[in-house]
Amino acid sequence: MTQPLVEVRGLTKHFPLTRSLADTLYARPREVIHAVDGVSVDIFPGETLGLIGESGSGKTTLGWLVARLHQATSGTIRLDGKDITNLEGAGLRKLRKRIQVVFQDPVGSLDPRLRVWQIVSEPLRAQGARGKAELRSAVEALLPTVGLPAGSLDQYPHEFSGGGRQRLSLARALSVRPELVVLDEPTSALDVAVQAQILNRLVSLQRERGLSYLLITHNVAAVRYVADRVAVMYLGKLAELGNVRDVLERPLHPYTKALLAALPLADPKRRRTRYRVSGEIPTLIHPPPGCRFAGRCPFVVDRCRTEEPALRALADRPDQWVACHRAEELMEIRPEELVQAGGENQPPVDARSSL
Amino acid sequence: MTEPILRVEHLSVDFEVGAGTFHAVQDVSIEMTPGRVLGIVGETGCGKSTLAHAIPRLLPEPPARIRSGHIWFRGIDLLALPKWKLPLVRGTGVSMIFQEPINSLNPAFRIYDQIAEAVHIRKLRESGKEPALLPKLESFDYSKRPLPKASDVASKAVTPVPPEQALHRLRWTRETYRRDVLDYLNLVRINDPETILELYPHELSGGMRQRVMIAMALSGKPSLLIADEPTSALDITIQAQVLTLMKELMDEVRTSIFFISHDLGVIAEMADDVGVMYAGRLVESGPVEEVYAHPRHPYTKALLRASPDRYKEDGALPSLPGSVPNLSNLPDGCTFHPRCPLAKDVCRKGAFPPLEAEAGVLGSAHRAACYFSDEVTTLP
Repeated sequence: MTQPLVEVRGLTKHFPLTRSLADTLYARPREVIHAVDGVSVDIFPGETLGLIGESGSGKTTLGWLVARLHQATSGTIRLDGKDITNLEGAGLRKLRKRIQVVFQDPVGSLDPRLRVWQIVSEPLRAQGARGKAELRSAVEALLPTVGLPAGSLDQYPHEFSGGGRQRLSLARALSVRPELVVLDEPTSALDVAVQAQILNRLVSLQRERGLSYLLITHNVAAVRYVADRVAVMYLGKLAELGNVRDVLERPLHPYTKALLAALPLADPKRRRTRYRVSGEIPTLIHPPPGCRFAGRCPFVVDRCRTEEPALRALADRPDQWVACHRAEELMEIRPEELVQAGGENQPPVDARSSL
Repeated sequence: MTEPILRVEHLSVDFEVGAGTFHAVQDVSIEMTPGRVLGIVGETGCGKSTLAHAIPRLLPEPPARIRSGHIWFRGIDLLALPKWKLPLVRGTGVSMIFQEPINSLNPAFRIYDQIAEAVHIRKLRESGKEPALLPKLESFDYSKRPLPKASDVASKAVTPVPPEQALHRLRWTRETYRRDVLDYLNLVRINDPETILELYPHELSGGMRQRVMIAMALSGKPSLLIADEPTSALDITIQAQVLTLMKELMDEVRTSIFFISHDLGVIAEMADDVGVMYAGRLVESGPVEEVYAHPRHPYTKALLRASPDRYKEDGALPSLPGSVPNLSNLPDGCTFHPRCPLAKDVCRKGAFPPLEAEAGVLGSAHRAACYFSDEVTTLP
């Protein structure tokens, strides 16, 4: 078994809510948002771990914790066995050389007043590199690897399209030759045709450079193409973890099934009439006791509401981890069964009716 | 043959800004049959939103300028109407659902007041207190829908209001339209509508806000509903819920829907007919099953193939080279030719190819603007 590059153990991040003066005077309890709650996961060298979930699931917070852009409330992060959870100062700066981030917003994450060579070489300068000529030539060599013309050194970010800007972000992240790149929704602002170009580039760069990726996205199709393993997050916890084919083709957790069932298919002949998962994503301030998906789960039983399921591997699926009490019983239920095909007239499975 | 509810003829819209003139929509013609859903799909900047906003004349003019064309809506040319008459068409004639419900709901008013306003205006027009521009249509068919439960509607006493007071132009009480508003909130399957009535938009989740928007749009009983990316800002599972709702409503409320999306999957799910736009032009249109199964424009084919559907061991994703052209400086001939695998000399100069029906198929509704549309099937 290879040694994991990153080991995350029991990682928790709570964001305190703002308190008014009255709250303090009356000594009301401090309330927190449970953004990430006890997540443990490994990232192996050269692999892509896909992290899928909806907004508010804590996937971006987890990515930022791993990249040390947030400070964890508790838990540990190890890189090559070395604890990096509380690195500061020079140690943290050295770490930035090994872990880089590509942000979601290709407009907001590039300084509009800097030229391409200045943007892309900024991590190098932060690591102490000096000399305009050297930096420029380093950037010039880097641009073609992300599919940008080497001659665009002196352009400004606004001269690029959305895809071009995301390539710039990628070039900037790669400039210090990191081992792990955290990709935070790298294609969600892009159109399908451009998205395909960027995803292809990500995969070929990974092959050439042996990079590890932590791909954070709500886009199941992007995860399918780029990831080796997938972690599904719901309300700050891992619902399921496994190899990409296993999770997407034989999902175990009801939430994963609900997510896959909700994907619209680009095939008018297979259109569905009714989606059978109801309810909204609950708030993270007072997460429900027990399983966090219980309020929306079509297969909920009493035990789910009181006892929190642990992430465990099933006897017949040793590589697939799931946090569901009823995983064995529900194993055979396919995502398609959560939507109603056209014409049929069966009553919807309503989580509320079983309350 | 039924009269189309909406007929857009050779519509061209330009944006005149400092950097030049952007041809956002060029020579687009569309017909909508009543009761059907027309989906428009295309990438960012293809003009689909401009087209949607041009129909109820919501574009800011200037910078937008409608260069030519006609928009016939139930027998009225909306482009020929004087500006002051336009509000008479909106709400009860054409309604709109926008992408970001938080931006289109007023943060300072409760949900009740916002929906009640739309109901109020419709009642004024129905009763003749405000001049109605459009001929009266038969109202919605609620027969297929179970009536709202008495417990939902009548849990609070409804004070009867004399009609003359209810139709007063500027004021209505908190109770006047309670029953109507609850009816519409029930229509969009909102749990506990009594509570929602009293809330402000920021207190609702994204999916809930979009349901309120849909309720508000339908409360004017419009004959045409324009939905501009209504689910793009929502999470996948919430999107599936809202799409389910819209599909159920289509059976209950006989409204034609003009549905805009960049997502081929959403369009496949919702639309009866589809139009594909590229760089301001309609490049292909037809029944959705036809277009998806046998695309006749190379752009449609490329778009359909670009959605990632494979694992990385299965090889690289097919992608379209290049990027969308600048709308102020479009290439000659077919605007798609620089990216097209079928491009020949005839595509590179002259006019944009005409939108032509499938050769040999009499009365085919499947049209494509490509000289080589028969060769599209040979593309990988």
